[in-house]
Amino acid sequence: MTPLPRDTDTALTAATGGAGTEGVATHCPYCALQCAQTLTPNPGLDGDNGVAVEGRAFPTNRGGLCQKGWTSAEVLAAPDRLTTPLVRTADGDLVPVGWDEALDLVAIQLRRIRDEDGADAVAVFGGGGLTNEKAYQLGKFARIALGTANIDYNGRFCMSSAAAAANQTLGIDRGLPFPLTDLSGADAVLLLGSNLAETMPPSVAHLADVRGRGGLVVVDPRRSATADLAADGQGLHLQPVPGTDLVVLMALQHILLTEGLADLDYLEARTTGLEEIRRRSALWWPERAEQVCGVPAGVLRDAARLLAAASPARGGRGAFVLTGRGVEQSRQGTATVSAAINLALLLGLPGRVGSGYGAVTGQGNGQGGREHGQKCDQLPGYRMINDPDARAHVAAVWGVPESSLPGKGQPAVELLASLGTPGGPRALLVHGSNLLVSAPNAQQVAERLAALDLLVVCDFVPSETAMLADVILPVTQWAEEEGTMTSLEGRVIRRRKAIDPPSGVRSELWVWSQLAARLGSKGTWDTEPTLVFDELARASRGGRADYSGLSHARLDTEEALYWPCPATGAGGGVAPHPGTPRLFADSFPTHDGCAHMVAVDHVGPADDLRPDAPLYLVTGRVLQHYQSGAQTRRVATLATAVPGPTAEVHPLLAARLGVVDGERVRLTTSRGSVAVPARITYSIRPDTIFMPFHWSGAASVNRLTTDATDPVSGMPEFKVCAVDITPARRHLARRETHPEPDHVGTETPA
Amino acid sequence: MTRLVVIGNGMVGSRFVEDLLGADAAGRYDVTVVGAEACEPYNRVLLSEVVAGKHDLSALTLPTPQSPRLTVLRGEQADHLDREDRVVVTAGGGRLRYDRLVLATGSAARVPPLPGLRAADRGDGGGADDGTLTHGVHGLRSIDDAREIVAATLNAQRAVVLGAGVLGMEAACGLARRGVAVTVVHPASTLMERQLDEEAGRVVELAMSGLGIDHRVGVGATEALVEDGRLRGLRLDDGEIVPADLLVLATGTVPSTVLATTAGLSVDRGVVVDDDLRSPDDHRVFAIGDCAQPPEGGSGLVAQGWEQSRRLAALLCGSISGGAELLPTRPTAASPRPSSVGSDVVRLKAHGLDVVTMGVCGSQRVDDPAQRTLRLSDPDVGRHVEVVVSGGLLVGATCVGAGAVAADLVTTYTRRTPVPADPAYLLLPALMPGPASAPTSPDAIPDDATICRCNGVSKAAIVACVHDGATSVPDVAAATRATTGCGGCSDDVCALVEWLSPAASTSKDALGTTAMAFSPSDVRPGENHVTKGKHMNHNAETAAS
Repeated sequence: MTPLPRDTDTALTAATGGAGTEGVATHCPYCALQCAQTLTPNPGLDGDNGVAVEGRAFPTNRGGLCQKGWTSAEVLAAPDRLTTPLVRTADGDLVPVGWDEALDLVAIQLRRIRDEDGADAVAVFGGGGLTNEKAYQLGKFARIALGTANIDYNGRFCMSSAAAAANQTLGIDRGLPFPLTDLSGADAVLLLGSNLAETMPPSVAHLADVRGRGGLVVVDPRRSATADLAADGQGLHLQPVPGTDLVVLMALQHILLTEGLADLDYLEARTTGLEEIRRRSALWWPERAEQVCGVPAGVLRDAARLLAAASPARGGRGAFVLTGRGVEQSRQGTATVSAAINLALLLGLPGRVGSGYGAVTGQGNGQGGREHGQKCDQLPGYRMINDPDARAHVAAVWGVPESSLPGKGQPAVELLASLGTPGGPRALLVHGSNLLVSAPNAQQVAERLAALDLLVVCDFVPSETAMLADVILPVTQWAEEEGTMTSLEGRVIRRRKAIDPPSGVRSELWVWSQLAARLGSKGTWDTEPTLVFDELARASRGGRADYSGLSHARLDTEEALYWPCPATGAGGGVAPHPGTPRLFADSFPTHDGCAHMVAVDHVGPADDLRPDAPLYLVTGRVLQHYQSGAQTRRVATLATAVPGPTAEVHPLLAARLGVVDGERVRLTTSRGSVAVPARITYSIRPDTIFMPFHWSGAASVNRLTTDATDPVSGMPEFKVCAVDITPARRHLARRETHPEPDHVGTETPA
Repeated sequence: MTRLVVIGNGMVGSRFVEDLLGADAAGRYDVTVVGAEACEPYNRVLLSEVVAGKHDLSALTLPTPQSPRLTVLRGEQADHLDREDRVVVTAGGGRLRYDRLVLATGSAARVPPLPGLRAADRGDGGGADDGTLTHGVHGLRSIDDAREIVAATLNAQRAVVLGAGVLGMEAACGLARRGVAVTVVHPASTLMERQLDEEAGRVVELAMSGLGIDHRVGVGATEALVEDGRLRGLRLDDGEIVPADLLVLATGTVPSTVLATTAGLSVDRGVVVDDDLRSPDDHRVFAIGDCAQPPEGGSGLVAQGWEQSRRLAALLCGSISGGAELLPTRPTAASPRPSSVGSDVVRLKAHGLDVVTMGVCGSQRVDDPAQRTLRLSDPDVGRHVEVVVSGGLLVGATCVGAGAVAADLVTTYTRRTPVPADPAYLLLPALMPGPASAPTSPDAIPDDATICRCNGVSKAAIVACVHDGATSVPDVAAATRATTGCGGCSDDVCALVEWLSPAASTSKDALGTTAMAFSPSDVRPGENHVTKGKHMNHNAETAAS
C-alpha cells in the first residue's frame, strides 16, 4: 500500500482551514524544492513571529511542508537579527554605525586596494540562496563596478559537477529537464547520492507510485531515510563503499551493453561516443566492480535489469536517473555525473516524456544562482565569459565596452586558498554564504579570511563568517523582499514580500547601487527587483538559460514558467513563448543536436584509507537543518530537535572502540580533529562514519574534510576522506589491543 | 624523446600504455606496441562469459589509447631481442630500437602431456607436430578459442573440462548453461585447491551437482581417446572412460618467456623482476602481468597485472626527470611493499556458483599461530564462510554461497579496515540485521518512534494529541503537522488514531481509507489490518501479540 498523496492535499487543507485569502503567496526560504507557502502577517496568530506560515498547493509540494518550512518564519524574528551596519574597531570590537559611514568606509578601502594592487585584488563570494535578481546584479557589480575577475560562489560546492557534466554531454544544465511530477509515472527511479527524504521531504510524495511498482533504486553508502523507502520490495538499496559510485555506474553500463539491454536505435539516432563507452565499460564486469564498490554482482545485475525493464525501449513506463551531492561532491564528481548521464542515454531516457536524467539541485536558488553570472567563468544567460559573442551581448546590455569585462576568475576553493596570499585578493565581499562553515578544510579557510585586509559580509544574522568581518551590512531576508527563484525543475517562481524588514535593514540591490555610485561605476543600478529582472531578461536573451520572455508581471499572472522562455517580440499578435517544461524532445542543444557521451573511469578518493586513518568519513544533512545552519540553528524547534552533530557509527565499530550510544568520540583526519557524540546505528557501513555538516567551530565536520577538488568542476571532495576514530575519554591508561567481545549496540529510533 | 617498446597488447600491455601516456604529462615517451594478435585488445577475463552465452564477443573490446606518440603494430610477432643494440626484431624482420623495453607477453594455456591431445599424436601422419590440438580439444585463452568452443557446443553432446581451477569451473558452468552435459575432471583432491580447502571444496561439489555438473575429483586423466581424428572421450587414472566430443583444457597457464630466455634474461617460472618490475640483468628491461615473476610471486590474476601497470607507469614517468624523484613513487615504510593484498581476490564468475576467496585460503595454506580462523559451516544450504584474522585485520577469507557477506569481506580485506572486536561478526551480513523483531501492532511501536519524519512527530506526540481530543487525521495534522510533509505517514497516523479511538466511527473521509477501527484489547489475528507504513522501520501489520 502506498501513501495517498492526492488526498494529502485534502487533509492538509482541512487541517489548515485552506490557504488564507489575505495571505501572500510565496515559497519557502530553504531548499530548491521551493515549497509553496502562504504567509499571513498576523501577530496574534502565531506567537511572536508576526507571520503565519501555511503550505500552499503547488505541483512540487502538493501543499506539504517539512518542519523547516513550517517554522521558517521564526528566523524573521531571530533575537540576534542584524539591524544595523557594524564596523570593527581597532580594538577588534564590532560597533554600530550608520549606513553612509559603513558604505563610505567600504568604498574607500576598496578603492585603495584596487589602486594599489589592481581590480583582481578585490574578490566576491556569492550564494545559491540569492534571488535571481541579486545573483545577476552581484555578477554585474563584480565585473563592472569592481572590475574583478575573482567572483565565485558557494554553488561551486553544490552544483558545479552536475553542471559541468550536463553541459558537456547534453549541451545544457537545467537540474531537472522535466517537471518533478513526471517521476510518478515511471517504473523506475535511480537515485544516486541523494537523500531526498531528509533534504527535501515533500518531494518524496512523487516517488510513491514508483515505489508501489517496486522501482526505487537508491545508491547510498548509508541506509538513509531515502534508502529506507526502497525497503520491503519497493525497490533496491545499493550500499557502495564511499567514493565508488562511479564503479556502480560503470558496472550498470557493462550489464546493459553485454546483456543487450541498451536502446541501440536511440543511441544511433541521438548520441555520439557509444564505441568508447562500450570499451570503457568492458573493464568493469560486475564481479570486478563488486570487489571495488562492495555491491554484490548479483545486486548490480538486478538493478540494471530493473532499469532496463522500465525503459521505454523495452516497453516500460519510463525511468529516471537522478544524481545528488553524494556522488557529485567528489574529485571525480563530474566523471560520475557523466557516467550517470551515459547510463540514462544507454537506456534511451533523455528527451522521452516520462523518462530522463536530472540533477537534484540543493540550494533554494541553486539553479538560478548558476545561470546569471555569479560563477567565475560565466555571464548572464548561462553564457561563457570567454565567448566573444557572449561578452559583446552582455557588455551592450550593461552599457560598457566589451574590453572592460574581466576574463575568467578562480573557482571557489582556489579563490579561498589565495585570499591574503602574495598576489591574491586582499579584500572579499560575501553575499548569501557562510563559507567559514560550508567550505572544506575550514581551519585553513579561517586563516585565509584572517589574512585579508578587508572582509565585508552581507547577512541577516551574525553568521560565523559575518563575525569575522571588518564590516557587516544587515540585509533583507525572504519574506521581506520581492524577487524570483528558479527551482530544481528550472521553473521561475516568484518570491513575494509579506512584511517590512526591520528598520535599518537594506536590500543588497540597494547596497550595490550605493557602492557602485561611490566607486564611480558606469551602468545603471536599479534597486527595484522587477526592473533588475527586466534587465536580467535582456541580458539572458539568446543564452542557454533564456529568460527574455519573462517578467514579474507575467509570472504574477501565469503559473510559474520553465526556462528557456525567449521573448517572441512585443505585441504584433505573436503569442508569448509558453516556457519549456521538458527539454530535448527533438534534439540536444549541442552543435550537431546529439548528446555527446564522455567516456570516464574510476580513480578513487584523493584521501584514501591508510593504516592511521582506516575508515571513511562521509558528510551530509539532517532534515531539521539547512546548509551551514545559520538560519535553522536559530529556530528553537529545529535546534531542540537536533541540537548538534553526531557521528554515526556502526554497532560493530562502536563495540570495537568500546563506546556506547551518545558517548563522545574523536574523529581525526590529516586536516583536523573534532569530538562529537557517537550515534550508533545499523544504517551506516561498519567501515564508514557519517557526520552532518550544519555546525561550526569545534563541531564543524569541515575541519575534517579534504579540499581536493574535481579537475573539471572545481568541486571539493566533501563526501569522502580517510578518518581515524577513538573514544574521546580523558586519557585512559592504554587502549586494550584486544578488547573483549562486547554486546552489539541496538539502534535508537530516529 | 625516450623510445619505449612494449611487447604484448593484451589486457596488461594495453592498460600499461594507457597508464603511461596518462602519467607522461611531459610527453617524454615515444611508444611502440608489438601485439601478436591481429585484433584490438580485449577482455580475456570475460571469455568464460562468452562460453556461457552471456556476452557477445563485441562486448569484450578494450579501450585503445590514442596518441600521436603511440604506434601499435597488431598481428606482429616479436621474434627475438638484441639487448646489445637495444633492438626488438620482429618476425617480419622489422627492427625496433628501444631505450626502455616492457615485456607484457602474458601466458599460454598449458597443454598437459596426455596422449591424444595433439593432432600430431594421432600417428596417422595427418599433421605435423605444430602444436595443433586434436579436433574437439580446446584451450580457453584467446578470443579464437572462445569462438571455437561456442561453435563446438552446437553439436557437442558431452563435454569434459580438464582442471577445476577458476577457469575450469567457469567454463564448466558456462557449458552447462548452454545445455551441454559436462563432467569436470580434476586430479587434485579438492576443487580449486589453490583457493579452497577440503571442506569448502566439498560444499562446492554439492553445488555443482545441483547444477547438473558431474565431477571426478582426485582422479587424473591418462589419455584422450580419438577416433577418425575426432575426440571421443577421456580415459581416467582409475580406468573409467568418460565419453566426450568436446574437451576444454583448463590445466593452468605457462608464462610466455621465450623472448626473455633467448635474450639471456633471468627466467624462473616467469621473467624475474625486482620490486620496481625491472630485470636484475638489464636495467632497461621490465616485465609486467602474467609473464613476470615479481618477488611476491605472480598470481595469474589481472588485478595484479593492472596494479603493476599503474606502478610501472608512475615509476617510469617519475624517474625520467632525475633519480631522486624515483623515490616518492615507491612504496613507503608506512605501506609495505606491494604485497599481494588486494590483488589476490578470486571471484568465480559462474552462473549458479558463488565462490570468493582472498588472502590466506586454500588447501595448501601454512598454519600460522598468529592467525585466528573462524568458520561458518552450513553445507546443507551450500554455504561455507571462513575468515582468517591477524593483528586486527582480515588476512584471508573463503566464501562459498555467502552472498553479500563475500562482497563485504572483500572490501574489508582490500582496504584493510578494522575487523570487529569479535571477528565472528564477519561471518554474517553486518550492515543491517534481519527484520526479525519489528513491532506487530501500534502498541508495540516505541513511544519515541518517529511516525512523521518530515515534521519530526513521534508516536507519543500523536497519542497525546488524541488524548487531547483529536479524532481524525486532519485533527492530528492541525495539532502536530504530522502528514503535512510528503504525506507518506497518512496511513500510519490513521491507524494510530483508530487504535486510540474506541468509538469505531472515526471519520476517514480525508484519507478515503476504509480500515476497520479496533481497540488494542480487541485484536484478532488476520483481522483489523493496520496498513503497513513502508517508510517506517516498523512493520505495523497487526497480529495477536
